[in-house]
Amino acid sequence: MSTAAAPTGQRMRKTLSCTAAANAYQKQFGLDLKRRVVDEGEPFAIVQADTPHEIFHAMDIPIITNQWWSAYISAKQLSGRYFQVMADQGYPENSCKYCSLGLACTLANDPATAPWGGLPKPTVLVARLTCDCIQHVFGQWASAMDTEFFPMEAPAWEHKDGQWFAHSNRDWEEIYQPDRIALMVREMRDLIALLENRTGRTFDEAKFQHLMEQINVQEGHIWKANQALARARPCPVSIGEQMSNTMIPQWHRGSEWAVAHAKRFRDEVMDLIAQGHGAASDERIRLMWIGAGVWHDPGFYQALEEKLGAVFVWSMYMPFAGPQYIRELKDKPFEALASRVCSMNETLHLPPWMNGWMASEAERCGLDAAVVLLPPDNRLSQSGTKLTALSLEQAGVPVLMIDADMVDAKNWDHDRMVGMVAEFLHQRGLA
Amino acid sequence: MTTAMIASLGPEIPHELLAATGQYTGPLGWRIDRDFPRAAQWLESKFPLWALSIVEDWADGAMDHLETVVFSRADDSAQRLYYYLCELQARGLVAGPRPLILDIARIGRASSEARCIEAVRQLAGELGVGDAALVAAIGAANAAAPQAANQGEGAVCLLAGTHPPDRRLHATVEAAGWQAAGETLGEVWSRSDAAVEDYASDPCAALGRRLHGAATGTRGFQDRGAEIVARARAAGAAAVVLWYSEEDEAEVWHLPAQKRALADAGLPTLVLTRRDWRCNDGVVSEIVGFLTEQGA
Repeated sequence: MSTAAAPTGQRMRKTLSCTAAANAYQKQFGLDLKRRVVDEGEPFAIVQADTPHEIFHAMDIPIITNQWWSAYISAKQLSGRYFQVMADQGYPENSCKYCSLGLACTLANDPATAPWGGLPKPTVLVARLTCDCIQHVFGQWASAMDTEFFPMEAPAWEHKDGQWFAHSNRDWEEIYQPDRIALMVREMRDLIALLENRTGRTFDEAKFQHLMEQINVQEGHIWKANQALARARPCPVSIGEQMSNTMIPQWHRGSEWAVAHAKRFRDEVMDLIAQGHGAASDERIRLMWIGAGVWHDPGFYQALEEKLGAVFVWSMYMPFAGPQYIRELKDKPFEALASRVCSMNETLHLPPWMNGWMASEAERCGLDAAVVLLPPDNRLSQSGTKLTALSLEQAGVPVLMIDADMVDAKNWDHDRMVGMVAEFLHQRGLA
Repeated sequence: MTTAMIASLGPEIPHELLAATGQYTGPLGWRIDRDFPRAAQWLESKFPLWALSIVEDWADGAMDHLETVVFSRADDSAQRLYYYLCELQARGLVAGPRPLILDIARIGRASSEARCIEAVRQLAGELGVGDAALVAAIGAANAAAPQAANQGEGAVCLLAGTHPPDRRLHATVEAAGWQAAGETLGEVWSRSDAAVEDYASDPCAALGRRLHGAATGTRGFQDRGAEIVARARAAGAAAVVLWYSEEDEAEVWHLPAQKRALADAGLPTLVLTRRDWRCNDGVVSEIVGFLTEQGA
């Protein structure tokens, strides 16, 4: 077992050896990415998490994911400084922080303090227009970096299947709508043409097909591990390690390392379950975390394990791998990819998909209560949370909603937040 | 016998298409000076007050006389309300009209234009509007002369930023001895941006092209700095109030650019951000003070 220092001074306990391997890989990847992008000046792209990363991987074009970059900046405790820069430049202080931290870093234009000395000019920025701020943030970011913004539509979704997760691997055409899939396929073709034109690299269909197959293998390992975790009592793996071992390979999805790591993670999880190991010494309350990770205080998740036996056993990242990533390819890898991406955000933030899935997950994983992150200045992250809370409460799962931001530590007080969760558990008769 | 009525919610609605049904009552309105106990159970804090008002009315049965409400994808709150209301209806928590969504796509690519045209075609099909009726409705709308703005007394102040819920900000400007220019949210959602061109053979495609190509709206890709200066000049404004509501997450991103553009144009500007939609935050005295300084 090892511990890792978190920015707030709280610590996150680690029990899996693969977690250290994942973190080491990601650290080395960061160094390699910096070398390729900053030192060697390779073409690269800045992209949102819910865009088709597979296109870039198939073309061997490095990508920097906005959410990963925001977390990186936040982990270096630079978010407060950059948000002040935004305020100094006339942007209101309640602007969406999760989307705009990268823009803030660029606007600060301070190589002395910026991670990597700041990002060089990317070939393109890519984002789906899932909420009204995104095109403005990315448009201005592209302008500030003197480059191009390639927006992608987030079309309306009229086929409302609250049980989508139960058959999305197979019936993705019906669930995500053929017309929405076709639109994203056209956009991906346009994106490929742009990338080929700007970088001189070519899109290799065979490599892409192989990548899609390997992603299914990788996410299959994660999903199998997650199904085992759902049944295991006690839960042997902390929420933080679930996130790390799902998300780090997912940034590199389909690569040889990612597939191998997912398998290693699955095997370690299975071993721990077989040993009857628990992440906490006395698991009495199984908790669900709804929202992005609190990157600035990862120790929060384990703070009540010893005192109350309250263990966060669920967050969206790991279980999402099954229904939203695995796809029967049906000789249509582009369409399969489009179905993975064209509703990635919507399923997590809109009814009936969000609440339908989360209520089902609470039952599947035997969860006793849920804690929901409600960032006060982020409409996208807020979206769907109240109706989801209603669904959970109706299913007998008590819900606590916390007003806090995932990257801005300003209104986060570790002790106060932990105290709120403890009080909630007492009030609802769980502790 | 009662007639099934249709209403709309959100920007960039093709009013010609809804008018062609013969059952269009126009955009839904709101009453924001009240509490919203039911809506507040379901909507998060970043929803603007108009959204809470709509949901409260919907839950109270105030929409029950309507058969259909068409929601616009061109506004984030409007499109989210569509999903929320579908869910609330599915769970039996509210009744009311059938929600439909018009999937307006604004990105400047052929794929988005095609999507927009197809969305108009689909809506026409849903509402039973044939080409002949649509051609007639577009012709009538094109022929309607735009209403000339009243030319009153005094210098003009342009109200811009977030579109306000009603004319209470305008009244403040007028009470200071100025003329107020700038539309309310309801006015923006009630009008069409421009005449529809080349519509005789395929009116749905013509409407879709207009929606897709509009150089306005919160999801438009226009240069907001140039736009605000052009609007101020068109209105003959001698001063500008840039007012943004607390919930604004689109136009407010252009505040720095708009401030710079207005300063370059020599237009005195009052900036008010994170404001209460009900104007219960001292905004009246701030605007009056600013305009008094400028001299009417």
